[in-house]
Amino acid sequence: MMGKTRDTVMKHHDNLANLWYVPAEVNTLRNLYPFVLAINLISLCLFYLREDFDSVFSSSMQFFVTLLVLVLLKKLDRGTRFIRDGLIGISGLALLLSILQFMSGPQIFVDLWIMLWSSIPAILVILVASKPDVTLWTSGKQSVNSAEAGLYRNRRISRIHNIILRHIALVHAVTIVVLPILWIVDVAVSPGNSLGGGFFDVITMEHFNKILSSESFWIWARNSVIVSIGTTILGLALAIPAGYAFSRFRFRGRDYAMFSFLLVQMFPGVIILVPYFLVMKALGLLNTSLGLILAYSVTALPLCVWMLKGFFDTVPKELEEAALVDGCSQNQVFWKIILPLSLPAVAVTALFSFLAAWNEFLLALTFNTSEEMYTLPVGLASLISSTGQAWGDFAAASLLVSLPVVILFIAFQRFLIEGLSAGGVKG
Amino acid sequence: MVNVSFRNVSKRYENGFSAVNELDLEINDGEFLVLLGPSGCGKSTTLRMLAGLEDITDGEISIGGARVNDLPPGARGIGMVFQSYALYPHMSISDNLSFGLRMQKGEERMSDEEIDNLIVETASMLGLSSELEKKPKQLSGGQRQRVALGRALIKRPRVLLMDEPLSNLDAELRQQMRLEIRRLHDELGMTTVYVTHDQIEAMTLADRIVVLNEGELQQHGPPMEVYRNPSNSFVEGFLCAHLNEIVETANNLFGGEEE
Repeated sequence: MMGKTRDTVMKHHDNLANLWYVPAEVNTLRNLYPFVLAINLISLCLFYLREDFDSVFSSSMQFFVTLLVLVLLKKLDRGTRFIRDGLIGISGLALLLSILQFMSGPQIFVDLWIMLWSSIPAILVILVASKPDVTLWTSGKQSVNSAEAGLYRNRRISRIHNIILRHIALVHAVTIVVLPILWIVDVAVSPGNSLGGGFFDVITMEHFNKILSSESFWIWARNSVIVSIGTTILGLALAIPAGYAFSRFRFRGRDYAMFSFLLVQMFPGVIILVPYFLVMKALGLLNTSLGLILAYSVTALPLCVWMLKGFFDTVPKELEEAALVDGCSQNQVFWKIILPLSLPAVAVTALFSFLAAWNEFLLALTFNTSEEMYTLPVGLASLISSTGQAWGDFAAASLLVSLPVVILFIAFQRFLIEGLSAGGVKG
Repeated sequence: MVNVSFRNVSKRYENGFSAVNELDLEINDGEFLVLLGPSGCGKSTTLRMLAGLEDITDGEISIGGARVNDLPPGARGIGMVFQSYALYPHMSISDNLSFGLRMQKGEERMSDEEIDNLIVETASMLGLSSELEKKPKQLSGGQRQRVALGRALIKRPRVLLMDEPLSNLDAELRQQMRLEIRRLHDELGMTTVYVTHDQIEAMTLADRIVVLNEGELQQHGPPMEVYRNPSNSFVEGFLCAHLNEIVETANNLFGGEEE
């Protein structure tokens, strides 16, 4: 009885390599094909929106063929030679389809990209499926030794393949993020005020010169700086003590207060617009920087308090007790121990409230209606409405407005990383 | 004379839990007293009440004859070593050591020169002379423990308090630090209260052991005396039986080898 079980186990062990071996290339294709399918789907939607129904038809054909390839790739296994043959045939069909589609459609950048995504994977499938070791694997006659050699080889190959796959995904993500910015840069440096035209064919600084020499831009910038810095200072002055109190002290209504902070965040900002306007009007704070500073500090407060509370929670209580024994008063504990330790978190919170104030549009538009009290975002918007469609000026100005933000992020980078990965304070 | 006395001291929390119950205890000048008991027995609470980190519900604690119930921790003339070291991460070792000195007020205030001398003296006493400019993060566990000890000792406190100071160290370092703590106590001669749940630590360090359970004082006396004459079944089980077991295990191990 024992002997028999043992034999089964040993036999199983003999086969382990055979059971586990799948050529690395096949695995890579299995990982790649869901991407291919997704991009097929995107192109399908794109053609539909363009009302290019011939392409919609060929693209949906393409989609089903890709789906079939994906299914066959999953089914591909030891001793499934016919599936391999099917794969080669169907990928050939996919390749043909993609070439036909490319020949017929309008050939701009996006179509080229779609064509690459439908043809290159098909070529890869054909190449991989006809490789000798894949052939051997699908024939089912592979020896254990060669499967073991394959497993060994897989370890190296699949790492490289994973890196390549990851980079393909990353390049796409980066492109999606960077493309709109490139477009804005292109509009900013092109002469005239059109949104279309060649990509970086004529370069001019006229828009930047115009914006930088216009008096109102500098007035708006001054307003924005005053409002943003004021918001940061007032916001921190309120949020730091509040966050500390919520983190350290237990008092009646604490949980409700914390929750009510979140509650405020759950409603869209437009809801408070009218009440705020009435309050500001009653206080005579319309068309002042102070009004905006107050409004922004209050709206940024909940998130700042929660962020800071979260950080203070990670500072061990024993540190405070040690400081008490060392002769600090409760106040000194806060100023000499807690605050210096929390600098990264405070920096992150400061950056957050600065950005919120710097980029805010709706409240600024509503409260400050006279042109010399505009903040930069409102001023930018006025470029489009009042002086016609000054897209070139608008693009140049938006780049200038983003510049301080970029600089701040670079300057605060070290703090940001520390502050967001809090808890590094174990003494 | 720095003696410490607990008179009828109780600690009850708001939820009704009674951590320490009518504790009466006298600690003599220069004595090394160990509070021993299982976790949750109230030994840490007792120490924290003495330090001023925990309010006293009932009774009176006095240090050197003066009632300290309402004094803040910094005014009680104590030094404390925490289990997790609790070093200030943003300060260098020398700043960590001298922080307490710099916080002193009025007549006690020292000049920078005096403070520097004390830092150097304390660091050399603990073998930390070459680490003074480093941050706590850069030190090993044993070195951090020494800094924590130095920070408590540098003020020459009237009473030194230690809350399970060795439980974060590995076995070898623990043994080494145990000897060092006892040596420092004998050199400096200050009244010391040491909290632990480790019977061996208690037996080897203490002049006198105080066994606590569920907030009640069970027995106190010199280690061997308590071991020989346990006054009740709890002390018998927690201290004597445990120690006997260790001895028996050791005998079995090495006795077996000889046969």
